Amino acid sequence: MSLSSISTIYRKEMLDMVRDRRTLISMVLVPIAAMPVLFLFMGRMISSAEKRAGEESVTIAVQGSERLPGLLNALAGARFKLVDKADLKAAVEKKEIAAGVEPVLLAGGVKEVRIYTDQTRDASGVAAGKIRVVLDLFKDNLAKQQLIARGVPVEVLSPFTVKRVDLAPAKKMAGMVWGSMLGYVVVLLMFSGGMYPAIDLTAGEKERRTLEVLLSAPAGRDEIILAKILATTSAVAITALLSILSLVVSLRYVDFGKASKMLKPGGLALDPSVLPLVMLALVPTAIMAASIMVAIALFAKSFKEAQSYLTPLIMAVIFPLIAGMLPGIQLTPALALIPLFNVCQLIKEIFQGDFNRLSFAITMASNIVYAGIAFFAAVQVFKSEKVLFRT
Amino acid sequence: MIQVTNLTKTFTDPKRGAVHAVDHITFEVREREIFGLLGPNGAGKTTALRMLATVMKPSEGTAVLGGHDVVQEPEQVRKQIGFLSGDMGLYHRLTPRETLNFFGRLHGLDGENLKSRIREVFALFDIEKFADTQVDKLSTGMRQRVAIARTLVHDPPILILDEPASGLDVPTARVIEEFILKSRNAGKSILLSTHVMEEAEYLCDRMAVIHEGKVKIVGTMADLRAATGKERLREIFLNLLGMEAMERRTNHES
Repeated sequence: MSLSSISTIYRKEMLDMVRDRRTLISMVLVPIAAMPVLFLFMGRMISSAEKRAGEESVTIAVQGSERLPGLLNALAGARFKLVDKADLKAAVEKKEIAAGVEPVLLAGGVKEVRIYTDQTRDASGVAAGKIRVVLDLFKDNLAKQQLIARGVPVEVLSPFTVKRVDLAPAKKMAGMVWGSMLGYVVVLLMFSGGMYPAIDLTAGEKERRTLEVLLSAPAGRDEIILAKILATTSAVAITALLSILSLVVSLRYVDFGKASKMLKPGGLALDPSVLPLVMLALVPTAIMAASIMVAIALFAKSFKEAQSYLTPLIMAVIFPLIAGMLPGIQLTPALALIPLFNVCQLIKEIFQGDFNRLSFAITMASNIVYAGIAFFAAVQVFKSEKVLFRT
Repeated sequence: MIQVTNLTKTFTDPKRGAVHAVDHITFEVREREIFGLLGPNGAGKTTALRMLATVMKPSEGTAVLGGHDVVQEPEQVRKQIGFLSGDMGLYHRLTPRETLNFFGRLHGLDGENLKSRIREVFALFDIEKFADTQVDKLSTGMRQRVAIARTLVHDPPILILDEPASGLDVPTARVIEEFILKSRNAGKSILLSTHVMEEAEYLCDRMAVIHEGKVKIVGTMADLRAATGKERLREIFLNLLGMEAMERRTNHES
């Protein structure tokens, strides 16, 4: 194994790579632009959805208000726009109103206020929530008035109050919100960033018939494939680094409007001091991603063919990532054996600042093993004449 | 310089079973000789050359190039040869200088040695003017010159050229022919494959006609004429392929 051959080939691959527009787009431009674009888009969506729901949700109608005197005043006082509708249910269904309110008399003189909603509509849900709050307040006031009329102190209505205190520090909250999404987006970007180089260095070389020239030069096949995997791994790592940096920078310096509240829980973005640990956690995954893509692309005879092999791979990558976004999932030692999922969970826990050392060790160890297997497979594929000269 | 003995390559095809792409071929290329491997498309020329360039392993038989066996010592063989593949095999996003630097380094050249060698071959093929332009911006003729320069950067004693002039216009093909003749005169052994009869007749000292993986005949033009009783290489070629009778029949029928 000659280090000088490996370094010669590696440098040539990197030079070739940075001159390829497609690679530059997926390796540099997409990871840098993806985060701010994603947030701006999310901010827009949130604001416009809120605005729409806000406008729609104030329009309601009441029937039979005479059965509950004061109800109309209470609702109007809460800035609801009351319209006149004879058939409340039909009006809700036709989206003419967000919700309908109707007090009914039950047997035994019990009054029940019915709220007609369509829970599949955001505005309807929002209106129902608001109406509920207004009704609760109205109910309390009625009770208070009756107590005062009877000379009973109003305090009997609330023997105690409830307050929820969240003990999670803002940093942990930010980690929670960020971690799950960050791992997901970064791992996906890593695969897409390494895809073009992986294809170009393998199927691309076959298609242009440069591969046989390279194979007839004194470098050994081990050296050639090692250099190619190293170059692809570099592309994957560069993509990961750029997307994480883009995230940190855009969270810190870009104003995302209404989305900011959601993006920075407790006024905090994520903690950049843990980034070296995150990058370390991603190294075995980068090697694995590069090796798998190189091994698969080697089978193809042309760039296009390789693309059609690798696109389903990227789709498949999404599944373990989605599993990691399910609520309540924690990184247990057993789950730490699942590739991709484990690293996403680990990143989330690192950002939350309370990762389990055992899970960290198992994640790293199992990902190193997977990377080794993928790497070995790529080397074997490269040594197979049948694959290299498939007709 | 090159001894090929019973060289065979067998592929397994799912439909046809075992296919002998190259079937026990034997020939020799001497020092200071241009040897042509002639055959129609699919005759097995490229597979044979790939085995000699150690890009593929033989299924049977072997070849010795410059005293080294392709199976036992492929690394040593690679140091002795300059291989030009069918489509030139150039990296489109590298410049000619970067290309020669890359292959020169792989062949163990470095520093001033490599620089002066690159200057030499660039001068030989008049490449200096476009030495720092990316290959994808060069004309076919320029690219072909770069591909040859790349083949020669380490000054190999043996050249293996797979259809070196295929798809080239007349002036560029001429440049290639001159380079091949010059290399022979400089003492190199040259093995080239072609299906262009004129090229073979003009360039080759000796040749082998290969058809369906088998060598039909080996010899000089005179040997081939004597063996077939035909004058033109085209006629000799068709005769050896057993297609002459078929051609006559078709003409008669039409």
